[in-house]
Amino acid sequence: MPFIRRTWTAIEADEWTKEDWIAIILSPLSYVLLTLGVALSLLLLWYGYVMLIVGIILTAVLHWVIDPKLKAISAEYEKKQQDYLYELEEKVRWKHFTREEE
Amino acid sequence: MNVTFTLLDWLWVALFLLLMIGSGVLFYRLGKRSESDFFLAGRGLPWWLPASSVYATHTATDTPMWITGVIYQHGMAGIWYTFFSAWAAISSFVSTRIFRRSLAYTQAEWNVVRFTGLGSELLRGWMAGWQFFMNMFVLGWVGIAMGKVCEFLFGWPTWIGLISFSLVCAIYVLAAGYWGVVMADFQQGIIAFLVIMIVSFWGIFVAGGPTGIIDKLAALDMMERINPFAFTGWWSGSFPAAWFVTMLIIAVLGGFGMGTSIDWYVEAQRIQSAKSVRDASYSIWWGTLLGLVRNSVWAVSILAFFVLFPGMTETADYEMGWFRLGFDYLPAGMLGFFFAAILAIHLSTISSHLNLGALYATRDLYQHYVNPKADEKKLVQVGRISTVILLLGSFFYGLMMEDITSWLIFALWIMAAGIWLPNILQVIWWRFNAWGYLSAWIANLGFSWLVVWILPELGVIPELLDYQQFWLLMLLGALVFIPVTYLTKPESMDHLVHYYVMSRPIGWWGPVRREAERRGLITPAGDLAGLAAELSRPDDAKRK
Repeated sequence: MPFIRRTWTAIEADEWTKEDWIAIILSPLSYVLLTLGVALSLLLLWYGYVMLIVGIILTAVLHWVIDPKLKAISAEYEKKQQDYLYELEEKVRWKHFTREEE
Repeated sequence: MNVTFTLLDWLWVALFLLLMIGSGVLFYRLGKRSESDFFLAGRGLPWWLPASSVYATHTATDTPMWITGVIYQHGMAGIWYTFFSAWAAISSFVSTRIFRRSLAYTQAEWNVVRFTGLGSELLRGWMAGWQFFMNMFVLGWVGIAMGKVCEFLFGWPTWIGLISFSLVCAIYVLAAGYWGVVMADFQQGIIAFLVIMIVSFWGIFVAGGPTGIIDKLAALDMMERINPFAFTGWWSGSFPAAWFVTMLIIAVLGGFGMGTSIDWYVEAQRIQSAKSVRDASYSIWWGTLLGLVRNSVWAVSILAFFVLFPGMTETADYEMGWFRLGFDYLPAGMLGFFFAAILAIHLSTISSHLNLGALYATRDLYQHYVNPKADEKKLVQVGRISTVILLLGSFFYGLMMEDITSWLIFALWIMAAGIWLPNILQVIWWRFNAWGYLSAWIANLGFSWLVVWILPELGVIPELLDYQQFWLLMLLGALVFIPVTYLTKPESMDHLVHYYVMSRPIGWWGPVRREAERRGLITPAGDLAGLAAELSRPDDAKRK
């Protein structure tokens, strides 16, 4: 099995896996590098360009890693969403609480 | 400073206002269909629409003033003050996903999805009332900032800028609800981003370009102003590294929780309006990134302003720096376009908070407590009435803002400090219950008063820096909510299992997961490994 999985069944995608943790680590790094990279590149500083390029690469890697999983989660969840919405309306009503307490 | 507009300038402004009101008219029919349409655009938006709304909403009239203030004061290191929005980095792939799957309309409603019983109801009622008030306050805050801009530009009394443009905004929010908000935000986001770039690059050009800025900083012997890590030491000075580390922890790790940033409550609406979990994640991630990149461009343009006007000491003078770059240096005929962009910045924030405050009033207060059987038509009607109440309340707050600002900044701060950890625990720890969470809110209220005001005043403790207050309040809060959590019952297992299967939260949910597996509601982890191995085998091996 490859280190990064890019094909998911709906059941597997529901689990928290290393692909999620890679996204969790890469995402703040991308934000830091892109924020500083843009500002320092505008000042024509060489390390600004380096930060910007690394930030863009990390952003691409982040999406490459997490996108197949998000697609699988979304596709499966959308099938159940209508039922869940119906349940939500039942669950969040005040009468639910009073009935339970009684 | 008084600006004189030409006919062309006023044409830009009129054209822009017509465009915004047009959004309300165009989407009127969609907005009135149901509660879900009026407040969440029917949960059907592609990621780029809520993303543009995230960006536009968090570009308010006071944002350039605030960013100008911190960059003028601290140089490039001041950019970290804007980095609090980076909670979205982790949240986009963790709490956003979990919240979208919960389907809760608001963060207040989420309390009864995650918790149960009287504690959850108390949390929902408290949060709904507090958010209704907070949205009114933000509307007043942003409205009075617009009043000050109009006073600065045209010499108008502040109430004219406060009231007139919010009234225009209310037309399309009342007509089309969130459909109007998000469609107008998309246009406003584009206009605002373009103009921010134009004015900022124009300012950089006027200051002599990037090399001109650096040369002038060198001549002023202030080269440390381009260093984003120019701290005043580890623990001391006006900008210590300990503050930076605290800010990174609050912002980045806060993404595991919900409500760790005041912005979360606005984004929660955008998350639920996205058409899928994936769209929700990307809307938050890309909308926030656009805001961070905007801040970077702003920061460089403020350095340009600094070298043009060094040595200002009064905050009220230098915080208008970015506006001055536009109004002092843009050519005639472009001033109206710039002002239209300021209006775009302003209206996007006003419209979002009008609709969000009305959502809490309608869904969490009226529908929940007053009329649970209200039909869709009635709910949309109540949404509109709530919008009007918020608008009128915001005028009242705006006009008395000078007197209450310090109180309300304190109110914002207390929710950020002692509630930060509970906001994460509610997502990642199954045993954390409604009573623990409620006790954290109450304890934090008392501790904040003590730590920030009363004990320093009595000389019991010294006046602490804000990052020190954060850690102390977090520790004191934990001394209350952890015992309360363990001394009260866990939430009912039925409720937790249902929540777990629907939302699939991250973290310590072992007992709930095992129960869900025992009931056959989810596949056991061991079986998944077998399934994955089976799927990865070549087809001919499977046949054998």
